[in-house]
Amino acid sequence: MNMRTLIVPSDLSSLDLVADLVLEEAREAGLDQRETYQLRLAVDEILTNIINYGYLANGLSGQIHVHAERYDESLVITLEDTSPPYDPCQRDTARVAEDFDKPLEERQIGGLGIYFALQAVSEFRYEYRDGRNRNIFIMRRSRLTSSTTSDQQDVVHS
Amino acid sequence: MAFTVTSSVDGTVAKLTLAGRLDANTAREFQVEIEKVAEQRPCTVALFVHELEYMASAGIRMLVFTKQKLGSETDVYVVGAQHQIIHTLEMTGVDKSVILVDEFEPAASIQG
Repeated sequence: MNMRTLIVPSDLSSLDLVADLVLEEAREAGLDQRETYQLRLAVDEILTNIINYGYLANGLSGQIHVHAERYDESLVITLEDTSPPYDPCQRDTARVAEDFDKPLEERQIGGLGIYFALQAVSEFRYEYRDGRNRNIFIMRRSRLTSSTTSDQQDVVHS
Repeated sequence: MAFTVTSSVDGTVAKLTLAGRLDANTAREFQVEIEKVAEQRPCTVALFVHELEYMASAGIRMLVFTKQKLGSETDVYVVGAQHQIIHTLEMTGVDKSVILVDEFEPAASIQG
């Protein structure tokens, strides 16, 4: 297993940093174009929600830890944050999807991000442990081309 | 790749060219440009997205905003979208409210 951690501030400028990490790890893990895009989309959407609603809307700031773990058959990205507990799985995404049959001019704006996130990856998990939200994204790859090493690298952005 | 958006209005046709990453951090730039062209009340909006590498839900919200700002009678073309972006539009049914094309030819397109 290969693990890497990135620590970013809780503002929207972190989206690019995390996207770059996900894209790089996806390439190393041998995910195909679709899997890479979908994983990046899922992580980006939940990270946006954490920053906007977990931190900014509550007048808070902090650091978000992003862990990337490469396994033989999957890439796992975990977002850890200290904003108030919020489980994205509690969101009624079926209600969001009901809007998809409406013309754009009649739609509500909101809820799409979590819908994307839950749809995009092979598996999504949420945990709240030791005062931290843990949003876990698992993308299983369809082709096995990556090597497995056991080095570890931590990167901090503040 | 950083997000960029440029626009021009030719008669009743507004053209916007988007490139890079359209996410929650950059969607506001798109919104400002849409508001700018909306003042000229275009009948057709063409979004050239050949160089747009990524679109998050914030981008979908901007398409919703565009339709709500300009009205249902305004045709919105999405020109040259890459496969994954088309997939995102299809996932949300947005493809039914915009016109997806590889190339934009105003006269022919408006005639349908």
